[in-house]
Amino acid sequence: MTEDIIDLIKENVIQGRVTQDDEGLEEGMAGEPGVTELVGEAIEQGIGLSDIIKTGLTEGMETVGQKFEAEEYYIPDMLASAEAVGAAMEILEPHLAENGIEAKGKIIMATVKGDLHDIGKNIVSILLRGAGYAVKDLGNDVDTQTIVDAVIEERPQYLGLSALLTSTMMQMKDVIQALTDSGIRDQVKVIVGGAPVSEEFARSIGADGYGADGFDAVRAVESLASDKAKG
Amino acid sequence: MLIIGEKISASNRSVGEAVANRDRRFIEDLARTQAVGADFIDLNAGSGHGAEEHKDMEWLVEVVQEATDKPLTIDSDSPGVIEVALGKYRGDRVMINSVSAEPERLESIGRLAAERQALLVALAMGAEGIPNDVEVRLAACEQIMAHLTRLGLGEGQVLFDPLVLPISVDAGQGMVTLKTIEAIKSRYPEAMTVMGLSNISFGLPRRKLINRAFLLMAAYAGLDAVILDPLDAKMMTFVKVAEMLTGKDPSRRGYIRAHRKGMLVD
Repeated sequence: MTEDIIDLIKENVIQGRVTQDDEGLEEGMAGEPGVTELVGEAIEQGIGLSDIIKTGLTEGMETVGQKFEAEEYYIPDMLASAEAVGAAMEILEPHLAENGIEAKGKIIMATVKGDLHDIGKNIVSILLRGAGYAVKDLGNDVDTQTIVDAVIEERPQYLGLSALLTSTMMQMKDVIQALTDSGIRDQVKVIVGGAPVSEEFARSIGADGYGADGFDAVRAVESLASDKAKG
Repeated sequence: MLIIGEKISASNRSVGEAVANRDRRFIEDLARTQAVGADFIDLNAGSGHGAEEHKDMEWLVEVVQEATDKPLTIDSDSPGVIEVALGKYRGDRVMINSVSAEPERLESIGRLAAERQALLVALAMGAEGIPNDVEVRLAACEQIMAHLTRLGLGEGQVLFDPLVLPISVDAGQGMVTLKTIEAIKSRYPEAMTVMGLSNISFGLPRRKLINRAFLLMAAYAGLDAVILDPLDAKMMTFVKVAEMLTGKDPSRRGYIRAHRKGMLVD
């Protein structure tokens, strides 16, 4: 039974069904319980929270990532799944602290100064939350000092920077320089992304990681996390 | 429908390389091939790699005005770059792309447009980012028009971009753009509307299909100009169809002429 309900959660994350009213990726699923109903039931049955998160939500989202990469899934599919995971995490959150389960790490996200584009940054934030990270989103058009102050105050392990314009991508270099000048560069790993940004560009400005799209950004963070674990 | 050819943009990798290597033939070729279907040729020298935009833009203007008589659209965020380009350009008719309601650049670029009597593309947004609803976008247009008429621009010199956000992220965005076009046209009948089409289809399969359908809907809402690839024969076919179906090809012979020239693709 335990396995059944966790499989169902995973399946419904893949289908992108938040509640029983959602149609999902395939037709004819409306009426069946969605992720929120299933998670509620799983908690009631006393199933381990880390099993729900790891095997149900995270593995489901990993499958979504693979399908997105294979161009089998498109942005609306991905957003529906991310929304389902987000809704599940909201239900689970009050139970996490009392069970001693912590977020995988803290990430500050920002679109840099002069750039008003926030769609990509928002997608990355949603996916990182879905992957179990605590995300603080500073918004768009955020000036360098505000980002540096937030890193000093919040002490995140990661900083995600986004720029969609060729005229603003150099701001990301300024932020990294400002972190160095403030003596906190080695306290935080910086991951950059955005349409004009390339892996080569990321390296040239001294970033620690690069995300080509939302799922790639999550992968970049995870790989920095495992580097850190290896020390 | 006024066609602005979008292909000479340094943010496109191959164009960026051609600009960096001063590959004159590559750029001339893009200018000439676009000139067949376009009314304006857009020039964007912003590649994101440092302070070369002035020099790159100056070179682009020089090369393209030798290759074609079609008027140019000077596409940059920087008033300095626009000023250099206008200084270099010998044509009478010219367009600047773009300003928003952000006051500082609106003032400096608006002045350049007034001096040169240029057409000016204005984005329906302020300094706080792209508004999600029609009312706030129209309010930005009103702020822009008030400022530009003070500087001596006529309503007819302004092309408002209603802004297009991906429908994949928000199902309501197609209608927000279309309603914004309608609102602008009813508030400023003399002003034109302009937009790029490809943002609407970001993140979805068969993007060109969506772009073409959106062009037809936007034409019905009152779109006057469009930024696109004039070498895309199917899209250009839809432009001709849209012009005829919205009564902007009164003798219907623009459509027939395009057919005789073998330009229509179904």
